[in-house]
Amino acid sequence: MPPKKKRMPNVQNNSWVVIAADSVIDIQMKENDPTFVRLRNPATDAGSLYMLSGGGGNVQLHEVKAFEEDFRSWFVGQSVQRDGRLLFVTPMDPLYLILPYLIKSAKEGKFQPADQMVMDEEFPACSRLLSCTRSLASMHHVVDEKEVGGLKFHRYNQDKTLAWLKKKVEKTVLVLKKKNISVGEGVQSSSYIRVKMDSESSNEDYLGYAHGLISEYISKDLSKELRQHLQLPEITSPKETEPPSKKRKLSDKPVEAGEDYTKFNSGEFARKPPKKMTAAQKNLAKVDKSGMKTMSSFFRPKVKEEKK
Amino acid sequence: MDTSAFDADNSVSCLLSSIVPDVCKTEDCCLGIDEAGRGPVLGPMVYGICFCPISKKEDLKGLKVADSKTLSESERENLFQNLDDAKSFVGWALRILSPNTISTSMLQRTKCNLNTLSHDTAIGLVQFALDSGVQLKEVFVDTVGPAEKYEEKLSKLFPGIEVTVRPKADSLFPIVSAASICAKVARDHIVKNWKFAEDLGDIDTEYGSGYPNDPKTKAWLLKYLDPVFGYPQFVRFSWSTAQTLIDSKAVTVHWDDDEEDGEQAAQRLANRSVLSYFGAPGGVNNKQTHRFFTERRLKSMDTL
Repeated sequence: MPPKKKRMPNVQNNSWVVIAADSVIDIQMKENDPTFVRLRNPATDAGSLYMLSGGGGNVQLHEVKAFEEDFRSWFVGQSVQRDGRLLFVTPMDPLYLILPYLIKSAKEGKFQPADQMVMDEEFPACSRLLSCTRSLASMHHVVDEKEVGGLKFHRYNQDKTLAWLKKKVEKTVLVLKKKNISVGEGVQSSSYIRVKMDSESSNEDYLGYAHGLISEYISKDLSKELRQHLQLPEITSPKETEPPSKKRKLSDKPVEAGEDYTKFNSGEFARKPPKKMTAAQKNLAKVDKSGMKTMSSFFRPKVKEEKK
Repeated sequence: MDTSAFDADNSVSCLLSSIVPDVCKTEDCCLGIDEAGRGPVLGPMVYGICFCPISKKEDLKGLKVADSKTLSESERENLFQNLDDAKSFVGWALRILSPNTISTSMLQRTKCNLNTLSHDTAIGLVQFALDSGVQLKEVFVDTVGPAEKYEEKLSKLFPGIEVTVRPKADSLFPIVSAASICAKVARDHIVKNWKFAEDLGDIDTEYGSGYPNDPKTKAWLLKYLDPVFGYPQFVRFSWSTAQTLIDSKAVTVHWDDDEEDGEQAAQRLANRSVLSYFGAPGGVNNKQTHRFFTERRLKSMDTL
């Protein structure tokens, strides 16, 4: 046996495999240089990676997601890259990132200029969000505005925000339906071709799924508010998803059999022919089992044997 | 011997055969099976069959086929020529398993060991003879693994044919010796004229016998070890000689069917300890990522 392989810690790369729209990497103008920036993630409140591209009055925000699976590496030209990740740079509405700062400032209850609210010592790049195209223009979706002497002042408005988020959810539902994304509870294999498209997914399933997706971009509290606003049922707590405890609960009701076994006694009941076995099962069945204990033998009480 | 059919693409397996003599289609025949190049870490493994009418068994002795191990390379070459010239009553067929075929069979997800590979190849060749119309009545095989089990396996597969599996069959039965000569000559030919698919420039062909214990072979293996790719396709990657060198000298490569003990895997996946499931709930700040992203293995990134 060769010695056990040891895993080395991932070393820093200086190149990545990235998928991005042509417009992002269009660097005809020098100021157009796309840059990775760390900004506060509205959902986790920690830093995440984003990308800003374009310059002047045409800055675009993009989120960066990594496709990451074990046991992957790249062959790039004549070299090997240990990091098998695939980065996706996709456009993102900057309002999601601006929103937490507006909510924070709302506690003061005053109308303020945007650049006074969007400030972060930890992530100084956040001020660049305001120079994104349409950032200021779309802010009216989530704030009340006042204009004094040519200056704009804003104050966070939750009702407006929820209405805006509801529209986002509805838009997402449309896309989910168009892209045939399975939103039901059951796990479905994407490689398995279904003859009949399942019509089981109700509108509520789609709404719930879309709400979950949008919640990846807003704070936990706002996600809860949005859930109520959409009139979706409360999320089942993780406790309930655990299997029920084995212990039978005491109740006042009379005990009844959970299943009807009498059907097995009727004449109509015929034993089903054994199911066809897969190739793997057939192989297993062929194995010489002489001298082997059955699995069930391990679970029998040992008491009797010990008494001998 | 003309091995150009194999040399054209030496990454796969290849069948070479003589024309089937007409007498073999009408008279009862015997057939011998033997292999060459089972042990070496370099080059292909060649399986050979030779067949002739049972009545002509004695004529084979006239061709002076003997245990190929006692013969020099040129003697073997001459004997093969004699066999090939005896077209009127002797036929042969070869299955060449490239080192690449051996590596990929033995290292694939559902492992196929060398014995299984050998048995399947031998069975395939017997079937080939039957399909070509040879009236087989007797088959003689040099053993691979326990002789009785192999004999039973072959007898079951080919009812009506008397199968004899013996160790050292190549020195006991002339028809097996003949098969062994065909296989050995083919292997020598291929190893000598190996065309490397890889761009290795002026390659040093001093690789010795190809057996793992040959110092020349070992030195060659050390010299041509690429840290990323390992070896050219000429080398059987599944041999422990090659594996040990790759493990110690080349870059470590992880596959998802590598054996890992539970603790290692858990560490790698940064799994939670079982104990954490029994603690009091709540106070967990890390939010579950939505299944849209987890199902697609997409993650937000903290840093590059």
